[in-house]
Amino acid sequence: MPIFDAHLHYSHDAWEAVPPQQAIEILRKAGLKRALISSSGDEGQQRLYAAAPDLVIPELRPYRSRGELGTWFRDESVIPYLEERLAKYRYAGIGEFHLFGADADLPVPRRMVALARERKLFLHAHSDADAVERLFRQWPGARILWAHAGFERPEKVREMLRKHANLWCDLAFRTDHARGGKVEPAWRAAFLEFPDRFLVGTDSFTPERWHYIGEHASWSRQWLADLPPQVAERIAWKNGETLFSGMLAR
Amino acid sequence: MSRFVLGLLGVVFSLNAATQVPQFSPAEERAILRHGPWPAPWSPDPSNRASGSAQAIELGERLFFEPRLSPSGKVLCATCHVPFRGWQDSRARAAGLAEVERNTPSVLNVRYGRWFGWDGAGDSLWAQSIRPILEPREMGGSVAQAAALVRSDAELACRFAKAFGALPAADEALLAAIGKALAAFQETLVTGRTPFDEFRDALARGDAAAMKSYPPAAWRGLRIFVGRGNCSACHFGPAFSNGEFHDTGVPFFVAGGGVDPGRLGGIRKLLASEFNLLGRYSDDGQKKSSLKTRHVAAEHRNFGEFKVPALRNVALTAPYMHNGSLATLADVVRHYSELSADRLHADGEVLLLRPLRLGAGEAADLVAFLESLTERESALPERKPGAPCVK
Repeated sequence: MPIFDAHLHYSHDAWEAVPPQQAIEILRKAGLKRALISSSGDEGQQRLYAAAPDLVIPELRPYRSRGELGTWFRDESVIPYLEERLAKYRYAGIGEFHLFGADADLPVPRRMVALARERKLFLHAHSDADAVERLFRQWPGARILWAHAGFERPEKVREMLRKHANLWCDLAFRTDHARGGKVEPAWRAAFLEFPDRFLVGTDSFTPERWHYIGEHASWSRQWLADLPPQVAERIAWKNGETLFSGMLAR
Repeated sequence: MSRFVLGLLGVVFSLNAATQVPQFSPAEERAILRHGPWPAPWSPDPSNRASGSAQAIELGERLFFEPRLSPSGKVLCATCHVPFRGWQDSRARAAGLAEVERNTPSVLNVRYGRWFGWDGAGDSLWAQSIRPILEPREMGGSVAQAAALVRSDAELACRFAKAFGALPAADEALLAAIGKALAAFQETLVTGRTPFDEFRDALARGDAAAMKSYPPAAWRGLRIFVGRGNCSACHFGPAFSNGEFHDTGVPFFVAGGGVDPGRLGGIRKLLASEFNLLGRYSDDGQKKSSLKTRHVAAEHRNFGEFKVPALRNVALTAPYMHNGSLATLADVVRHYSELSADRLHADGEVLLLRPLRLGAGEAADLVAFLESLTERESALPERKPGAPCVK
């Protein structure tokens, strides 16, 4: 089964260890149909996009290096950086960014949301439920991909999905939804209630994790096989294709 | 707080330092006491019927120094676990018949382990002892070859019979017993008492006079270790290891491309092994020791995790980390001082690990503490050639 990997990074420390050609080979060998990739700084995923536009869907992180993960939301220089990149390149979304609680209402995140709104871009938020609520209050029409489903319990994830029609979840770096190829009952209920709202992802937060993409795809196929085929297909790749088809058509 | 009061506190602290009577908070004291007493209590391994058996220990010692376990006749357990090098090899990466990707850990105090090997692919010491015999790049042996050696060598066969009874018909069962004898021997390898132990016990009994003999740099380092360094969260207990696995931001690419998957690969190997505690070679009729194996499951976070090493005699076992990439204890302290939190997942190890940002004096103190974990003298008995086995 093809896989749409909705959570990959290709950051500055990966470019040398896993050069673009090798990175693309890894993605193809893993059987990925498409990959949503961001990098810190942005140059990395642009290199991948140039090498394989049929495979790579770029999104823009508000980080010039990963060290800005905990400071970017108070750093006003992030905004001109985003503006410059958005003017120069095409993106499907802004993210993945780390943002929690009331920090979501700080001026820098607010301006970032406004930039996404102007360009009708996805927000890829590594956030708690509180920050997700705040982002929706800023932009009720926002489309948010909730990284790691917020590391929330399936019951809370379902509650959020019921409340927000424009919220989707990636399942990156989570193993609690499946064990030994079997889907946990509480998660099964979530997947069956919202088959159109989940995506899988590896999260290559270190260069070494590029060598885990293939294994992660295989692991995903195992537990997806425990779901009804149509649901599995949606989560595996169709949801990604549907959500980001706008970017692909442009 | 006024500068005057701060100054006064500084004077009191200095006086304490000058008289070498360290003061610890109740929380620090509790944390320090958890690193002893030493030697820590130990009970034989229920999965190994030879654990603690004098006959098995004698057989295991012979096998540990037996080059014929490798078809090459050139590699023995002690090639990498060298007694006079702290039972490791002082190399960055181990080399038997060829070099491998990982550093050789010392086998001193290995009996206190929960999982074995950097990746925990062994759930018992006896299973772990079989692994290098069969590994092509280490001893390069085989089940049949190891079994044939014991069957054909009168001395080994005699000692085997004393330790285990009749030789089993199946080679695999014989190899399992070889592993158990090797484990029984290694269980006897325990480090002696250290300056830290003297200090810890003095603290436990409130003996200020005895506490004074512990160097000030060492107790200042100890304070960092159990305090803001949070080192004792993982380097826990009398052996200074929680026995589990963590990603501490050490790169895990390997030479020639690819990566060392660490614990993730270890779990796969463990569950595939016929020698794991769920298999027929465990002697634990109650199966209590296999509980951990029954419940272990691979998670994404396991990729690139390696076992927390025990720290007794750590100053004698350079170089450090799973791949021997850090040459000195000062390098290790610098690694944790300057740790890049970016290498750790935002919802993973970063919750436990923070760059310590130590000053030069603090880093030296932490090294002084680690050096105080070196035994004053070996606790091992002098080894003498055994008399020939008599049936």
